Amino acid sequence: MTTTYTYLIYLAISVALTIWVARTLHKNGRVFLVDVFHGNEALADSVNHLLVVGFYLINFGYVSLALKLGYLVNNAQEGIEALSVKVGMVLIVLGGMHFFNLFIFSRMRRRKSHHDNRPPIRPDTFTAVKQEA
Amino acid sequence: MLTLTVLYDPECGLCRRAHDWLAEQPKLIDLVFVPCASDEARKRFPMLNHDLTKEDLTVVRYDGAVYFGPKAWLMVLWSLARYRDWSYRLASPELLPTTKKVVSAISQNRYQISRVIGS
Repeated sequence: MTTTYTYLIYLAISVALTIWVARTLHKNGRVFLVDVFHGNEALADSVNHLLVVGFYLINFGYVSLALKLGYLVNNAQEGIEALSVKVGMVLIVLGGMHFFNLFIFSRMRRRKSHHDNRPPIRPDTFTAVKQEA
Repeated sequence: MLTLTVLYDPECGLCRRAHDWLAEQPKLIDLVFVPCASDEARKRFPMLNHDLTKEDLTVVRYDGAVYFGPKAWLMVLWSLARYRDWSYRLASPELLPTTKKVVSAISQNRYQISRVIGS
C-alpha cells in the first residue's frame, strides 16, 4: 500500500513541477519569440504553444517511463528516499529541457541577426571605382 | 551588384589555399578575386595606391570603400553566411586588438607559412 502512495505522491509532484516549468517558459519565452519574428505576435504565440506542447510530451513521457520503482516500499522513510531519487531525476530532466529551450530561443535570435547588413568595421579610405562596361 | 573585390597576392601559397576555401563557402555577398597590382586591378581602381595593396590583403567594396589588412579579413568573413557572426565578434572593441595582431602576424609571415604547409 505504501508503494502505491509513493507512486501517487511522485506523480503529483512531477506533474505539478512540469506544469510550473512549462508555464514559466510559455510566459517568458513569448517576448523572445515576438522579437525573433519581427513583432508578428500571431506567429510567435503559435510557435510558443507548439514548443510548450513538445515540452509537455517529453516530460510527461519521461515521468511515466520512470515511474516503476522495482521494489516494495515498507515504511515512510523508504518512501521518501524513493521519492527523492525519482523527483530528483525529473528535476534534472526538466532542467535539461529548460536549457535546451533557451538554446533554441538564442539560436533563433542569432539567425535573425543575419539580416543585419551593417559591415563590422569602418573602411580605411575610399577610392574611385571604374564601372565595368 | 553588391560585391567585394579582394585584391590578393597571387605569389603566396597560403593565399591561394585561402582562395580555394573561400570559393566553396556559401556567401551573403559575392567575392571577386583580382591579383593585387595587376592590370585588372589598376583598371578597376585607377586612383588606388597599388604598391600598398602588395603589402597586405585589400578589399574594395562595391561603393569604393577600401579596407586594408585585418579590416579586409573581417570584411571577407562578413561576406560568408556561416561566419558573419564571427566578423562582428572579432571586430568588437574587446577583440579587435587581438584580431589585428594575429592577422598581421599571419600576413607578414605568409611566405614562410606557405613553405611550411608546402604549397
